[in-house]
Amino acid sequence: MSIMRRSTASPTARTKALCAAGAAMMLALAAVSLLVGRYPLSLAKLLAGDGMQWRVLTTLRLSRTLVGLAGGFALGIAGFVYQTVFRNPLASPDIIGVSSGASAGAAAGILFMSGAAAVTISAFAGAVAAVVLALALAGLDRSGRSGTIVLAGIAVHSLAQTALMCLKLTADPERELASIEYWIMGSLNGVSAHAIGGSLVLCLVCVAALLLLHRQIILLSAEEGEARTLGVNVGLLRLAVLLIATLTVAGVVSLTGLISFVGLLAPHGARLLTRNNRLGTMLLSGFLGAVILLAADILARSVAATELPVSIFTSLIGAPFLLTLLVRGRKEA
Amino acid sequence: MSGFRVTDLCAGYGGRRVLDGLSFSMEAGRVMGVLGANGSGKTTLLRSICGILRHGGECTLGDVRLEGLNARRLSQLCSYIPQRSGVTIDISALDVVLMGFNPRLGLLEHPTAAMRQQALAALERAGLGGMAEKNYQHLSEGQKQLCILARTLVTPGRLLLLDEPESALDFRFRYRMLDVIRQWVAQEKRMALVALHDPMLALNDCDELLLLRNGRSIGVLRPGSDPLDRMEKLLREVYGSVSLHRCADRTGREHIIMLNEGADGL
Repeated sequence: MSIMRRSTASPTARTKALCAAGAAMMLALAAVSLLVGRYPLSLAKLLAGDGMQWRVLTTLRLSRTLVGLAGGFALGIAGFVYQTVFRNPLASPDIIGVSSGASAGAAAGILFMSGAAAVTISAFAGAVAAVVLALALAGLDRSGRSGTIVLAGIAVHSLAQTALMCLKLTADPERELASIEYWIMGSLNGVSAHAIGGSLVLCLVCVAALLLLHRQIILLSAEEGEARTLGVNVGLLRLAVLLIATLTVAGVVSLTGLISFVGLLAPHGARLLTRNNRLGTMLLSGFLGAVILLAADILARSVAATELPVSIFTSLIGAPFLLTLLVRGRKEA
Repeated sequence: MSGFRVTDLCAGYGGRRVLDGLSFSMEAGRVMGVLGANGSGKTTLLRSICGILRHGGECTLGDVRLEGLNARRLSQLCSYIPQRSGVTIDISALDVVLMGFNPRLGLLEHPTAAMRQQALAALERAGLGGMAEKNYQHLSEGQKQLCILARTLVTPGRLLLLDEPESALDFRFRYRMLDVIRQWVAQEKRMALVALHDPMLALNDCDELLLLRNGRSIGVLRPGSDPLDRMEKLLREVYGSVSLHRCADRTGREHIIMLNEGADGL
């Protein structure tokens, strides 16, 4: 908190300090996430070489923590990209149909295939198919306005919702319908170690690409004609950046189910804290995403006797956090 | 390396034609003002030249035809300042100016330290010295335009297109802006095409004036050499009953002033 009051420090130094604080908080939460849960682990017992403790750590906690870390980070970065490229503070991956595509895909996986990996793959395919369809539909309008992509996204979103509804109708209410509903609520529970490799690599590659493209993403935030006269191939670049951001989200969501609010909230938090859109802000957005998701997941598995959906807590943590920052921002400005 | 020529330019929005066969040319090292009533096609002209708007006809800079170029190549030849920039995110004034280096940078390259120095110098020249770290969104409309001007000063283009850059500026900064543009143009025999709202500013600070009416050129004025009555006759076609007078300021420098003489301005 002392960082926030040092408004006299140069903006770059301030952003750096905030990033360091964000990273430290993320790592601390990751450590807690490794130890907390139904079967609590303790550092002392782990060091003493307790076999059971180690098994829980490696088979359950490690993969879960990794998904929380990487998934939260990726959602934060992707949210930053969406908001900047659409020049809209409310834009999130949902806007071009990722979530609904993933849900429909997951439902199809639950109904027609067997095995957890099949659901993940099917959800991923659904998400990517929805976004490719949305971008292709937007491509029919040659003028290349970003508003067209949003409209196409809304159309695809409702198509996917309809498909999901039809799938739900055919589902067996006792088992399959419950699984579908539970998948949609999202959880880091049951993410198994052998399923996450591909998704994590995909996320890392995409996030790295987005961070490298930071300068171009900022250029896309200018008005389209203006960006064009600054030498940006607006149509192609926007398509590429959106596709990469979407792959990132699809990689996360197909593993965990829908996670609300992180992609919307983390970038806002980062911007309100740094008040700029430099690379540091984008990184901070990733750190905040991971912090929120890890904290939410820790709560989801420790507040009640049963696992709770993680989205309940991302919203519960996120909403007050955002409001605090907003009120603070008013006072400072 | 020579001038800029527009031949038979036609453009519009939907079915409505705004520019209807406009042709003119300008020489290197000149600042040309574009005057015309609202809706006469000033903005459409600038947006067509820099490739934002699809159009018929031809724009050639030197011996390069602008229509066939991709965004990157075009941005290396001409720069455009919109009436109002679309930068809507929190970003420092310096970062806005650094955007101007994009035409010279590869996709993943970042501005160098030398470029940052250049950007700071450009801000200084535009009258925003010391504002580099200020949030662009917190600047006044006039300061925003000066910031975008600074961005343009660092672009590599030879042809500068400005759309009413003076509209949000107060009296002193209007002259400063045109001054900066004139120096920039004179430096390397570049060219500027400036749509202007204020005819007096245009008459006193541009080498040539293109007069537009209903999407066509009704003539080109050279305020430095044309007789007053010829200019008055053409300006009346745009502004109604106006009269031109020469008058000297206390330092002895001559100015042209334009007075409105119609009761209703028409």
